Amino acid sequence: MDVIASLYHGFTVALQPYNLLACFAGVFVGTLIGVLPGIGPVTAMALLLPVTLSAPPEAGIIMMAGIYYGSMYGGSTTSILVNIPGEAASVVTCLDGHEMAKQGRAGPALGIAALGSFVAGTISIIALMLVAKPLAQWALKFGPAEYFSLMVLGLTLLSFLTHGSMAKALLMASIGIVLGLVGTDAITAEERLTFGRLELLDGIGIVPVVMGLFGVAEILSNLERKLQREIVQSRIGSLWPTRDDWKRSVGPMTRGTLLGFLVGTLPGGGAVISSFASYALEKRLSKTPERFGKGAIEGVAGPEAANNAAAGGAFIPLLTLGIPPNVILALLLGAFIIHGLQPGPLLMVQKPDVFWGIVASMYIGNVMLLILNMPLIGMWVQVLKVPYPLLFPLILMFCIVGVFSSNAAVFDVFVMVMFGMIGYLMRKFGYEPAPLVLAFVLGPLLENNLRKALILSRGDFWTFVERPISGVCLGLAVLMLIVPLLPSLARKREVIAIDQE
Amino acid sequence: MGSKGISMQDKTRGLGSAELWGGLFWLAVGLFVTWQGWQQGLGALHEPGSGFALFWCGVIASGLSLVIIAAAIAEGGPALSSLWAETRWQKVLLVTVLLLVFGFFFEQIGFIPCSLVLLLVLMRFIDPVPWWQAVAVSFGSVLGVWFVLAKFLRIQLPAGILAPWLG
Repeated sequence: MDVIASLYHGFTVALQPYNLLACFAGVFVGTLIGVLPGIGPVTAMALLLPVTLSAPPEAGIIMMAGIYYGSMYGGSTTSILVNIPGEAASVVTCLDGHEMAKQGRAGPALGIAALGSFVAGTISIIALMLVAKPLAQWALKFGPAEYFSLMVLGLTLLSFLTHGSMAKALLMASIGIVLGLVGTDAITAEERLTFGRLELLDGIGIVPVVMGLFGVAEILSNLERKLQREIVQSRIGSLWPTRDDWKRSVGPMTRGTLLGFLVGTLPGGGAVISSFASYALEKRLSKTPERFGKGAIEGVAGPEAANNAAAGGAFIPLLTLGIPPNVILALLLGAFIIHGLQPGPLLMVQKPDVFWGIVASMYIGNVMLLILNMPLIGMWVQVLKVPYPLLFPLILMFCIVGVFSSNAAVFDVFVMVMFGMIGYLMRKFGYEPAPLVLAFVLGPLLENNLRKALILSRGDFWTFVERPISGVCLGLAVLMLIVPLLPSLARKREVIAIDQE
Repeated sequence: MGSKGISMQDKTRGLGSAELWGGLFWLAVGLFVTWQGWQQGLGALHEPGSGFALFWCGVIASGLSLVIIAAAIAEGGPALSSLWAETRWQKVLLVTVLLLVFGFFFEQIGFIPCSLVLLLVLMRFIDPVPWWQAVAVSFGSVLGVWFVLAKFLRIQLPAGILAPWLG
């Protein structure tokens, strides 16, 4: 009853015209960037962060959240029609979605992707609503040691699941922490790594770092080679799946939703991993696995449900513990902080308008997305036809505008260009940017909790091991560090490790 | 989506290895951070100083760099030159330089003229599109962005040389 009353209150917040507009803007931009290759949800959120500064906190956060789950919907359109995923979580949709399109069944593929996303998205919000309160109450028992260990676990898990060498991923995470510590020390007020630059006293901004590493670097990488895009030319036809399509899709959608939600809540987990896991699960459970990769609708329904459910699940650690499980939610944490809010166990008590407003807006956003992605699919197909040589200069201009307007400082534009070059070189040399960005956001929190825990324990390092939750988290992190050293397990890690953005 | 970086084909050992150079670069960064942390002051365990976390992050980064260097020496890696073979790296360099030049003139000359020039150059000289398209998209998008951000959302953008007319 308490939950229903709170949700009702949330709807009164989310249905206010300004918040409704913010929600629509978020899901619209999310779908758009999901459709457009070359710009991901991280870049789009960083881009629009300054725009939300003049808005009330709940409107700003509702818009940012809308971009995240909206991009999960939009990403499938390019996967199915062009065989290029709009964002990484839709990579696996290419396998069967595009095959269906080539067989003249683009309509049902797009339809089941949108409907599966809607069902999974809605169920994950219900689960978020039910799980958040007990988890937040439990999290009130957490002290600095628990928070420190949980963050270490999150970073280790993300490094473990990142494509390629784990040593490189961990190296990126430690560099990310260092970058996060640049500026004035919150405890001693000493300057750290500022090199006498006044602009660095408040630290390096998250917007130029993210925009450089993901936006500019992606463009530079794409410019190296000519992008070939072949849009399926046949008519899309009816989007409504047939009775047989439904029969085949219900099971994968249900399993995808459950799996996606669970994976999404894990630190380091996310939409990308859940979509791959769902595809593998469906292929394994299928009586006709040979159909997979040749246009099996189960290969679209399961992963699309999974990545949307994961997007909903990922809000749980952020809203209840204040710890973002992936790089996109790390940016959302940045948005919370910029708006003077601290996500965590006290958020739903101290700021119920924000917490329940976000939850309710996600219901509304999902309905908006269904409308945007079913009747308006033709509009997105037209967007797909914009040639990349026209698109990339515009993305660059938006990056510059977004970075400059966040702080009204041209210094940030140079920081973005520098990180763009670094990001481009990192991709060349096989270093993933996702652990760096997550660690960059978590760095100050990590250091703060480490120092507090050591002060409280009078310098006793055993406090991290003796406290049960902290000990378990650190134990799991150590396990994750040992696994790559064991050849048979290292091979399994390579199978599940994939790019995060 | 983006370049997928290192492929493990055509492994090279020694000074030509990209893995080795990558490891050496991060080792230098790690050692620098360690030194900075030390300079900053480690404090005591019961009251860590402002250099404590920096120092240990630097140590961890240096250690991981050594692991990468050791792997590069033992197993080799792709040749440095192979990373840019058959790529249009000149375009990458040109875009980076253009962005830096843009940054230098952005505040003095202003958002509208700077962005117009940047967009026209990018559209005509990187992957050329027809002139009419480049002009129409550049003017339309720059003026549209200016109107929405500066006039509608009241976000500060430098007016530069057009300040007398734009207010």
